[in-house]
Amino acid sequence: MTTQQRLLDILVEAVDTLTDDFDVIDFLHRLSTRCVELLDVQATGIMIVDEHDELQLIAASDETTRLLELFALQHDQGPCVRCYRSGQAQLNIDLTSRTATLGFGPFAAQARTAGFTVTHALPMKLRHQVIGAVNLFDTRPGLLSDSDLQIGQAVADVATIALLQQRTLETSHLEKAQLQAALTSRVIIEQAKGILSERYGLSLDASFDTMRTYARPRKMRLTELARQVIDNTFDGTFEPTGTDTP
Amino acid sequence: MTGTSAMMARILRDLPAGDGSDLLGGDPALCARVLGVDGIAVSLCGDDALTELVWSTPGRSADLEDAQYTLGEGPALDACRHRSLIALPDLQRTDPHRWPAFLPEAERFGVRALFCFPLHLGAVCLGVFTAQRATPAPLDAAQMNDAFILSAAITAALIRDDAQRQSFVWAEPSTTLHRAVVHQATGIISVQADVSLAQAMVLLRAHAYRTEKPLLETAEEVVARRLHFRDDKGGTTVPSSDKD
Repeated sequence: MTTQQRLLDILVEAVDTLTDDFDVIDFLHRLSTRCVELLDVQATGIMIVDEHDELQLIAASDETTRLLELFALQHDQGPCVRCYRSGQAQLNIDLTSRTATLGFGPFAAQARTAGFTVTHALPMKLRHQVIGAVNLFDTRPGLLSDSDLQIGQAVADVATIALLQQRTLETSHLEKAQLQAALTSRVIIEQAKGILSERYGLSLDASFDTMRTYARPRKMRLTELARQVIDNTFDGTFEPTGTDTP
Repeated sequence: MTGTSAMMARILRDLPAGDGSDLLGGDPALCARVLGVDGIAVSLCGDDALTELVWSTPGRSADLEDAQYTLGEGPALDACRHRSLIALPDLQRTDPHRWPAFLPEAERFGVRALFCFPLHLGAVCLGVFTAQRATPAPLDAAQMNDAFILSAAITAALIRDDAQRQSFVWAEPSTTLHRAVVHQATGIISVQADVSLAQAMVLLRAHAYRTEKPLLETAEEVVARRLHFRDDKGGTTVPSSDKD
């Protein structure tokens, strides 16, 4: 590749690549706005934990003072705090009920003033680490459906991933390794099927059955057996199942 | 509510709910409609290669992923390698030297616009989400936003820590892995030519490249025993009488 062409490649790359423009706060703001449309709620906010273990608003569907004050109150009280501390979704909290809002009366009063009657908080977490909560507000009473809950949790997951993408996570390598391991298991089973099929003149399905017939009574993992077939370290005897030929 | 909200909501709800043998749930075609494109694909990547197509609309999108898999170059691979979005709103205006082998293939498939979003977490890229269209044009701001949301949702769904991944591992025989036939053919060739799996893969790829046939098609020939690597490591096609 000539230097000139390499330069050209880099230039084209620079034009095509928008990641540098990707602003996570801006994205989370747009996500909050989209969430309002997706779930047909009145307002959404995304709160994450700061270095003092208190929740801070990072983005909201609209930036009216009323709403912002409502989030500001939640640094140490409210549904988001409960959600963050427990890692559990806090759903269908009736803001007009004294018992439902026990422990965060001032927040509930402020929410009612803003016109809201019900609120939900969904955990933002990766595995066991909770980093914040997505807060939903509605002016109409009613329960969040299971379907809406799943959508809301997906939005919380998206916010989590967007935030985590910005950091170099040590756990990322683990995630990737686990995903690759799951995939590799499937790949080596297919490869072993091909090997047995050619070696014993079996169809691929019969090759799979043969491996399974061997593995099951021995309580052996199929991937382990496939691995041995591939590495040529298998020292047992297969009894080919079925009489078909490929 | 905007027009795409109901569809978008459904995709976000269904993505984490594969039916056991699939890593991702939901309808890829719906995903393409939300973004106003003709097709989408999600490939995982490992060791600088697209290892497996896990979710896609049929036809062109799958063909594009396969072409990059066979050729070892293309925008999805670069998106993964550099962990950056690669937006190509008009392939005819893309520098032809950038992917000299892939671009003619994309043109042959009739694809004019390509958008590759890396599925990354920190420094690690799990895979790539690609949207393609037969007409040139950029994604508009709302589509771009939804594409970013979907990329993160797909990433979240892929790394879920639940029974899903385990059931994917233990799924009953094949058919759910898009490239199952390639892996099977690799196993067959390794016995026929008495070589390692890695070498068998190289033989298969070389044959596909030389005969200008898709890798999957070549692999199917091997599995059907119409193509052998027994005596001649370049591959021998058996006489046509055997084809029936």
